Amino acid sequence: MSDAARQDNQQSNGKAETTHHPETDPKREDKNYYGIPPIKRAHWTWQIPIYFWLGGIGAGTQLFATMAQLLGHRDEALARVSRYTVLATMLLSPVLLVWDLGRPERFYNMMRILKLRSPMSTQSWSLLAFGNLGGLIAARQAAEDGLLLGDNPLSRLVIRLVPTRLFTVLALPFGLFVGFNTGNLISATSVPIWARNWMLMGPTFLTSGLSTALSWLSLVLHLGRWGEAKTLRVLHRAEKAVILIEGLLIGASLIRMSRWGKPLFSKEVAPLFVGGALLGGILAPFLLLSGKERRSKSMLASVLALAGGLAFRFSMILAGRKSADDPEAYFTFASGESAPQPEDKV
Amino acid sequence: MATGFLTDTTVCIGCKACEVACKQWNQLPADGYELTGDSYDNTKQLSGTTWRHVAFIENPKKRRLTGDVDLVALAEDVTQPLPGGAELDALGRWAFMSDVCKHCVAAPCQQACPTGSIIRNEFDNVYIQPDICNGCGYCVPACPYGVITQVPHDGRAFKCTLCYDRQKDGLEPACAKACPTESIQFGEVEELKVRAEERVQELHDKGYTQAYVWGTPEVGGTGGIGGNHSKFILMDEPETYNLPRHPFLPQEKVKGGVIAGAVAATVLGAVVALAFRD
Repeated sequence: MSDAARQDNQQSNGKAETTHHPETDPKREDKNYYGIPPIKRAHWTWQIPIYFWLGGIGAGTQLFATMAQLLGHRDEALARVSRYTVLATMLLSPVLLVWDLGRPERFYNMMRILKLRSPMSTQSWSLLAFGNLGGLIAARQAAEDGLLLGDNPLSRLVIRLVPTRLFTVLALPFGLFVGFNTGNLISATSVPIWARNWMLMGPTFLTSGLSTALSWLSLVLHLGRWGEAKTLRVLHRAEKAVILIEGLLIGASLIRMSRWGKPLFSKEVAPLFVGGALLGGILAPFLLLSGKERRSKSMLASVLALAGGLAFRFSMILAGRKSADDPEAYFTFASGESAPQPEDKV
Repeated sequence: MATGFLTDTTVCIGCKACEVACKQWNQLPADGYELTGDSYDNTKQLSGTTWRHVAFIENPKKRRLTGDVDLVALAEDVTQPLPGGAELDALGRWAFMSDVCKHCVAAPCQQACPTGSIIRNEFDNVYIQPDICNGCGYCVPACPYGVITQVPHDGRAFKCTLCYDRQKDGLEPACAKACPTESIQFGEVEELKVRAEERVQELHDKGYTQAYVWGTPEVGGTGGIGGNHSKFILMDEPETYNLPRHPFLPQEKVKGGVIAGAVAATVLGAVVALAFRD
């Protein structure tokens, strides 16, 4: 290149720049690396939120059925519906969880070790216990209902060998653990929005699980016109109270999440969270249940609460994805006292 | 005996020999032909198929060079006023950092792993046993440094093994072996700790007071992680290198979460029982 050409070149460029990003470089204030997320998000797709929803319904159903048994409230229809519900949720949950694995054929490796510090490990074991106890209880119910091919030696053996009342009480702690551990499972990660809410995540998921379970029971009993009047009355009262508690817990969670809860109100998640979970799943059913008790209103409230519970789980998973993808959220979270510290007390 | 890395970013030249050596030794697949436009960094981050990653940081905080600057004089560490009133950190405007798994003392991925696939091996390194991993992916969001990912088509999670196989044969890891500037040093953690402190002191004496070790319990190891076996000498804030300032151990709160859940379960049981009263 001749001197004249070089001069020309320099002049046409104005000043020679040695910086690589002339537009963004000098004024860049953000302290991250090209906006690349410093942590990796969970890969969970639709199977996991649906499992959270089903597990919650199973857990809540077990709680209601056990309380009915313990308080001496005998309702054949309620017992039947709740036993088959637990069976159905515990049949579907492992399928969804195994489906989600990268190597589904190795699912049994979950059973080679028990790690109390790993919510995924305790979840697997509690599902195993809850599912098997629930399955045995449902098997006896099926035998009594004549669903095991009528009256035969097998069904008589099942009826003789399965102590339903004992197993129902035994299954309760495992069921409840499954219920709240779905929340702890996501809070024991590095994702700011989840980790920040470690204390209320389990209770919120359990309460939401119970509200969906009560809605499910009342919906099915109303649909089939089964169940005693008292059962339906109790369900109605419990639904109302639990939805109220759920709303309060979600509110407290949002306060606790503070700035890291923003993804829940982002334009992708807000329709699901605000519209689906808060308005559709909590406010609307609560208002419907508050008025005069009517079958159609109660059924509508149940459907809304069930859909809202599903929307809540999907929005939490989606918000976690956004939270993990936001370098600013993670860096502000992991820069001071906001992140959980060992010395924190419950 | 615990082994680990000391990555001295002040002498890294961004040659990516570590990335290549790692890929070759561990037979890792390519990541595609994406051109990011983010400096010369096209692999972007650590992943299940990229176990060493060289970050190219064009430091925005240093002053911009304008005018006809004598780059040769700059490279020779001149201290007299530069032409055009330009100022430049003598270590250059670019910072490179070869990132790797931190091999935490209390590793969140290991605690999260429900199959016991992630273990500490005899060299006290965090190691994923590929024959046990069932690809649940729970270690991925647990890692406070975004190191582990699941590999698509394989399904399992992978990360730096600290060349377990080479160490067994008495060899140093491939990246450390390939590094032409000793930016990546391999050795016993205790010895590396001393070496890191000496190097930081040396840098301080030369006037680079911003140099520090990241990965000790005090810096980059709080919140229950208790320090890292992969230490780094950094010249800037951790966030510039895409590293968190105070990472935390997520499992620290599992017990608290279970207690809170049990309390909630009791309260909800009582609420349901009350609903049964006519």
